[in-house]
Amino acid sequence: MATPVSVLRLPRGPDPNSRGFDPKSPRFIALCRTSIPTSAEAEADPEQLQKEQHARSMLRETFLRCLLSMANRKVQFNMYEKVKVEATFGASDIDVLNFQVSDLHTPIGVQKEALIRSQDVISFTYDV
Amino acid sequence: MAMRQTPLTCSGHTRPVVDLAFSGITPHGYFLISACKDGKPMLRQGDTGDWIGTFLGHKGAVWGATLNTDATKAATAAADFTAKVWDAVSGDEILTLAHKHIVKTVTFTQDSSCLLTGGNDKLLRIYDLANHEAAPQEIAGHTSAIKKALWCNNDKQILSAADDKTIRLWDRSSMTEVKTLSFDTSVSSMEYVPEGEILVITYGKTIAFYNAQSLDLIKKVDAPAPINSASLHPEKDFFVAGGEDFKLYKFDYGTKEELESYKGHFGPVHCVRFSPDGELYASGSEDGTLRLWQTAVGKTYGLWKCVLPEDLVAENSEQLYTSPPEIKA
Repeated sequence: MATPVSVLRLPRGPDPNSRGFDPKSPRFIALCRTSIPTSAEAEADPEQLQKEQHARSMLRETFLRCLLSMANRKVQFNMYEKVKVEATFGASDIDVLNFQVSDLHTPIGVQKEALIRSQDVISFTYDV
Repeated sequence: MAMRQTPLTCSGHTRPVVDLAFSGITPHGYFLISACKDGKPMLRQGDTGDWIGTFLGHKGAVWGATLNTDATKAATAAADFTAKVWDAVSGDEILTLAHKHIVKTVTFTQDSSCLLTGGNDKLLRIYDLANHEAAPQEIAGHTSAIKKALWCNNDKQILSAADDKTIRLWDRSSMTEVKTLSFDTSVSSMEYVPEGEILVITYGKTIAFYNAQSLDLIKKVDAPAPINSASLHPEKDFFVAGGEDFKLYKFDYGTKEELESYKGHFGPVHCVRFSPDGELYASGSEDGTLRLWQTAVGKTYGLWKCVLPEDLVAENSEQLYTSPPEIKA
């Protein structure tokens, strides 16, 4: 009987916690253009760079704190197709792809638990 | 001593895999993208099948997926009436191109400057990616849904296959039809081999090879079962095919002889493609998996390791994984 070909290991499967595209991989480091416009220029002014990085950090921090403070509050979501719904905010997933909400008020009733796709959301408001 | 083929199974998709494509050979190896009805196309390292990332964003089944030659961009066609262009290094969505119906096929020009799409609205569309806000050029002519569209003849011409049982050759600059091939039954797949200008077409149980410029028939071969997809080896010595009987067939291109058949998939095979170096071929199936198969069974390549009898008893031999014998369902 023929011997099956030996294999070093099986192909690695997807990571259940992330969408992949490891930023530490050699290909990413070699090919990914930086997302900071200033540092993408040939002569990057270090002061400009720092200012821009600082602004970005501040914006990111504000956004994350905003998500934190939204927990268990009533939030109005303004979405595409003229959809406006209100729900109690639960949490966001790590890539901000989905928002977990409770008591989502929809035109066809109240949904006890729901996931809202963040790409469908134009804006959301809540009282601090 | 004869060696038995050990296919490598790439899991991760939760629904049928309907399309797959390889990139060209890049400094970081070559890559594979798979289109799946679960709406989440995946990028994998081509020689090992290792998952790299999942392109998230489509809201419906993804029917077509492709990579540009240097694997920096990906494009996908989906049932959510959009085609999307992605950065294949970061996984980010670059562009969404709205269509009026399900999009089935997408393909880049060699320089990645333009994208060709086709789908259920029966139109071929050419998008200029540098100027994507502008309306695409549209080519009408097919009388039913377009299944597959390809650039050929150095991106100067377009080949399209549709459910109207025709394959049409179009001139890009004049946007007019140059030639039509009619069949008795729907064409299930189409592959274009630029070196040698060969078009590989499958329909019914037949795998046919045409000259891509003249659309003259070169040869055709019949398989034991209805075939959904076939691919010609870069050196044109073999071709592989898969279809409704779940098996992969390997034929000699010169003699048309069936050389081997491999079981492994648990559902019909929807797509099969040779890697750019010809060392392996990948198949996508209704069973939700992709499988990688060696062209030269027993050769050391990727995750496959050639083990000589002496090595198996050597004291310092590395841990090797031998797949268990197949259990027949």
